[in-house]
Amino acid sequence: MKREVARRVFAKELNNSTHVIRSGGEKAPVYLLTPLGLRCNRVFVVGALLEKEETKPESGIWRIRVSDPTGSFVGYIGKFQPEALEMLLDIDYPSIVSLTAKVKVLEGIKKKFVILRPEMINTADPDVRDRWIIEAAKCTIERIKDVELGKTEDAKIAKEIYKTDLEDYKRTVKDVLMKLKEEFELLEEVEEEELELEIEEEEFDIKDLFE
Amino acid sequence: MRIEELVDRIYSIFKEYGVSRKEIMDRLKLLIYEFKVPENEAYTTVVNYLLKEYKIPKYEVLAPLTKIAEIGSSGRVSVKVKVIQLWEPVSPSISQTGLIGDETGVIRFLIWAKAGKPEVQENKSYVFRNVVVDEFAGMKRLNVTRFSEIEEISEDVKVAEVPAKVYGEVEFIGSLVAIHQNSGLIQRCSQCNRIAKGGNCIVHGKVKTVDDLRIRGVVDNGIENYEILMGEEVIKKLVGIDLETAKKIAQENLERKAVLDELKKKLLGKYLKIVGFLGVRFFRVTYAEFYKPNIKEEVEKILEELK
Repeated sequence: MKREVARRVFAKELNNSTHVIRSGGEKAPVYLLTPLGLRCNRVFVVGALLEKEETKPESGIWRIRVSDPTGSFVGYIGKFQPEALEMLLDIDYPSIVSLTAKVKVLEGIKKKFVILRPEMINTADPDVRDRWIIEAAKCTIERIKDVELGKTEDAKIAKEIYKTDLEDYKRTVKDVLMKLKEEFELLEEVEEEELELEIEEEEFDIKDLFE
Repeated sequence: MRIEELVDRIYSIFKEYGVSRKEIMDRLKLLIYEFKVPENEAYTTVVNYLLKEYKIPKYEVLAPLTKIAEIGSSGRVSVKVKVIQLWEPVSPSISQTGLIGDETGVIRFLIWAKAGKPEVQENKSYVFRNVVVDEFAGMKRLNVTRFSEIEEISEDVKVAEVPAKVYGEVEFIGSLVAIHQNSGLIQRCSQCNRIAKGGNCIVHGKVKTVDDLRIRGVVDNGIENYEILMGEEVIKKLVGIDLETAKKIAQENLERKAVLDELKKKLLGKYLKIVGFLGVRFFRVTYAEFYKPNIKEEVEKILEELK
């Protein structure tokens, strides 16, 4: 059986998902259909690990919250994900992490919650995070187009079920990218300032000190 | 088809064996005009008759000796080659698989277990007779079946210089989203090279083992994914850990798993650019590097498209 692809999706889109697709047999994979028509069973996320706490003392089940620029993912790691658990215990927070996870839906009385079941979690760096944001943005833009044009069956179903506000998602993606761009421009300014500072220091002759 | 064309086709096969056009023509005419046999039947009958009459081994004609560069996308051929690389078989139905080459090129090959052939070795030259050409994952491959023959030869077959970008090599960029358990510092059976966990080979039982360093994992770009295999050389270039270092890490920590943990910390969730061969089940990585795109440029490009 072909392994499920780890999809790139922003927290906002995933957390707004409620529609579950069960495709036949007991062993058949369960998918979550997002408001932008993504059929999703596994995700890859890079973001900021903001919380990490044991649900109850000694329970061995850890709840984590990982944030991307649009919102946050909630995940639970227990003894059935021993590899992820082992790696999680070594990671401090807040910090940037990457994770691969199965997507699950918890059905409450009034509401459905999308949660993640991480299979692995590891420390990451700002470069990896930025690369992820770009990937997620690209994929989201593609999905927006698909829903706009009713390109795939899933896109049509998603539009019907969620009555998706495409403009809202477009704005979100644009905001995320603008912010990333601004950060880079700021970073360049800082680097320039540092450079100037260095030059000034060099011009300063050590002999002057003794005069 | 005109009878002359059939004659030409048969003649082109047998001209080197001293068969004359007249002989072919006479036999064809007899079958087609006298006995009213359909043309394709007549063709097969004449070919089979000539093979028997002139005592020509079937594969010489039906699977002519061919240079790798000239192999078509189907049919049967024979090749004179050197085994360049052997890969770990992914299924018990496969005896051996890998890469062979001659002076004109390289091609993938596969020896089915059912063929019952003795094993070939890397860097040795062979004649593979009557092997079946097929295409898998968009690449040509030679299949050794029980009707094929493999003969080791003393001649050292020259192999086309394997360029940096070898035939069938592909490039892929994605995140390493998983590293499987049987990665890191592993033990292989000294007899068959299969993984021998805890010194036990599934075929040979309790065996002497050889240490090896490798990674089995998944690289995923959000749209598609590949099961990948990475050997010592690639791992060394990527993260600076070779077999010796790996053994040291295992010794210091008193467990082999420490190597796997180290590799996981260094690689899991990281973006990689990988180059390698796309096989039946695995992407065999021959080169890997951390992928560092120009983020600023990419952001500007997408924003431009969004306008």
